[in-house]
Amino acid sequence: MKQIVMGILGVGRIGSLHADNVIGMPDIRLKSVADPFLEAEEWRSRGIEASLDPGLVIDDDEIEAVLICSSTPTHADLIERAALAGKHIFCEKPIALDPDRVRQTLAVTAEAGVKLQIGFNRRFDPSFSKVRQAVVEGEVGDVYLVKIVARDPAPPPIEYVQDSGGMFLDMTIHDFDMVRFLSGSEVEEVQALGAVLIDPAIGQAGDVDTAVVLMKLSNGALAVIENSRKAVFGYDQRVEVLGSRGGIEAFNELPSQVRVRSGEGERSENPHYFFLERYRQSYVDELETFVTCIREDQEPPVSGIDGLIPLLIGMAATTSMRENRPVRVPEPAL
Amino acid sequence: MKPTTVGVIGAGRIGRMHLQNLVHSVPDAFVKTVASRSIDSSWAEELGVPLALRDYEALLGDPEIEAVVVALSSDLHAQAICRAARAGKHIFCEKPVAFSPGPIREALAAVRDAGVQLQVGFNRRFDPSLLKLQQAVRDGAVGELQGLRIINRDPQAPDIEFVQRSGGLFFDFTIHDFDTVRFLSGMEISEVHAIGTTLVDPEIGTAGDIDTAVIAVRLANGALGSIDNSRESGYGYDQRFEAFGAQGNLAVDNVRPTTLSSSLESGVFVDGPASPFVERYREAFIAELRAFVGCVRSGEPVAATGEDALAAIQAAQAATLSRRENRPVELAEVDQQVSVGVSS
Repeated sequence: MKQIVMGILGVGRIGSLHADNVIGMPDIRLKSVADPFLEAEEWRSRGIEASLDPGLVIDDDEIEAVLICSSTPTHADLIERAALAGKHIFCEKPIALDPDRVRQTLAVTAEAGVKLQIGFNRRFDPSFSKVRQAVVEGEVGDVYLVKIVARDPAPPPIEYVQDSGGMFLDMTIHDFDMVRFLSGSEVEEVQALGAVLIDPAIGQAGDVDTAVVLMKLSNGALAVIENSRKAVFGYDQRVEVLGSRGGIEAFNELPSQVRVRSGEGERSENPHYFFLERYRQSYVDELETFVTCIREDQEPPVSGIDGLIPLLIGMAATTSMRENRPVRVPEPAL
Repeated sequence: MKPTTVGVIGAGRIGRMHLQNLVHSVPDAFVKTVASRSIDSSWAEELGVPLALRDYEALLGDPEIEAVVVALSSDLHAQAICRAARAGKHIFCEKPVAFSPGPIREALAAVRDAGVQLQVGFNRRFDPSLLKLQQAVRDGAVGELQGLRIINRDPQAPDIEFVQRSGGLFFDFTIHDFDTVRFLSGMEISEVHAIGTTLVDPEIGTAGDIDTAVIAVRLANGALGSIDNSRESGYGYDQRFEAFGAQGNLAVDNVRPTTLSSSLESGVFVDGPASPFVERYREAFIAELRAFVGCVRSGEPVAATGEDALAAIQAAQAATLSRRENRPVELAEVDQQVSVGVSS
């Protein structure tokens, strides 16, 4: 079968990770990358065209699909340009921090008739997708409760916090997507509690570093997310679904299964340090799914609306926390 | 030194358990009398309890009895405490003491006036794992506390008659979790956000109660906590606890009846959680009575006080108000109210 020719816009940390994965995939040929800060020689030595200008990728007729991994403020513009050029698009989350801007972008991609997949990679994590599968197959019966613990190992730099849109839009947005994914239901109402317990500078930047978010779902179930920007023992990522027939839970993954026994007790390794290690496989699987959707002309399982809805939930959570009241999540209204 | 003479008031499920524990596992106690409207005297006789009465007034009138264990239905607790205190008995009372602060305050006043001991049946405070967790938090094992997680799910929904007399999920069930939050953190709850619904059994909804809930709490030091409850997990009595802090996370997992692990073609299987609560907290139920009898004998303060019961009830009230009015409720708001209805 003919390879899909691809380009990557933005090859920072996550773009480089995708590039490495794509290079190893027989179904894809990575033709070129563009990034204003890239080291062109490094890419060229790997046989990949490199430029500072995304236009050179977008206007390349041979390229069928692009991965947008640039900084968040550039996502919406690049999606629209790529869509108008007829490229299928995989874009990292979020599309934009303004829902209206997201809606415009989705309208442009719909009009262009191209695929758009959003980088909610955790849906492709083998453990979490297994939890979802168990829910779909009725193993837990009717869903009663979705629980998520998501804690980062360390807070990001304060400059990042300032431009992140706040913890709910930057970090919890993955968990909002996970609640929707695992439950197969929409979030109707949120109640968010936040606190600054880790770094006062985060509070001075107007953000929080610790949160608990309660949610009512459209199927009648409840959900709760617990977040912290700093877990000293590593990346704490657990999900659990309780239903009428029982429960299912995905635990933290450890780099090895080694246990050390001593007079002080038993010790195993800490969880993986952060997302690049913990979700390594999900980044491969999400791109394979994207390619399959292009080849078989299917709608990607994480589509544009899945990029919009968690943003609306995150904004509702932010309002809820600031005004200390439950807030309804508005309809996505495309 | 001769054993402390004890009377047991109420011989339902939990009263019978306490009585058996006193007889078999608390050597410093001698159960002289059990009083229950539905008493089976041959059962008491078999356990070596000399007297079985239908009315507990006569039990309270017996000058030989130094201490009583109150295990009536919850709506009768506060009155029994008052009467026992006036009769000069030390009291162990099951939770909840009452469904609103008023009767609890009256009971506490009666206890204070009589100069007797009152211990409330917050059994988890005596569970070896939770005690160790509490000590680790107190010793700063994870630095300053930032979050608590409690998962508390019953294996099977109680029958509807029980639900109707229980005072509602927050007062009957979550009450343990509110106390556990206070016990583990050593802090007061300052704010409660509660959402709840009926997913297990529509009859519970018809009875004005809920069977599924998630509650977020804010603690006095700013830490956040979450509690989730279900009246029916379908897989056992799910009891998990975590304390998250600046230096790490502490977790207490479910206790399993055996450690058998079966690796089969269809997967690896281990026992589900120990169920029901009398199994999971078997040691704690014995330890709380030993501690109570010990305090009666030594005069030392008890580890689960009437004030603890009052604080837990106020949190349950705040949760009820929060759920009913769909808004966060500060504990200070409830503290000023005389009474909030039990269920909506």
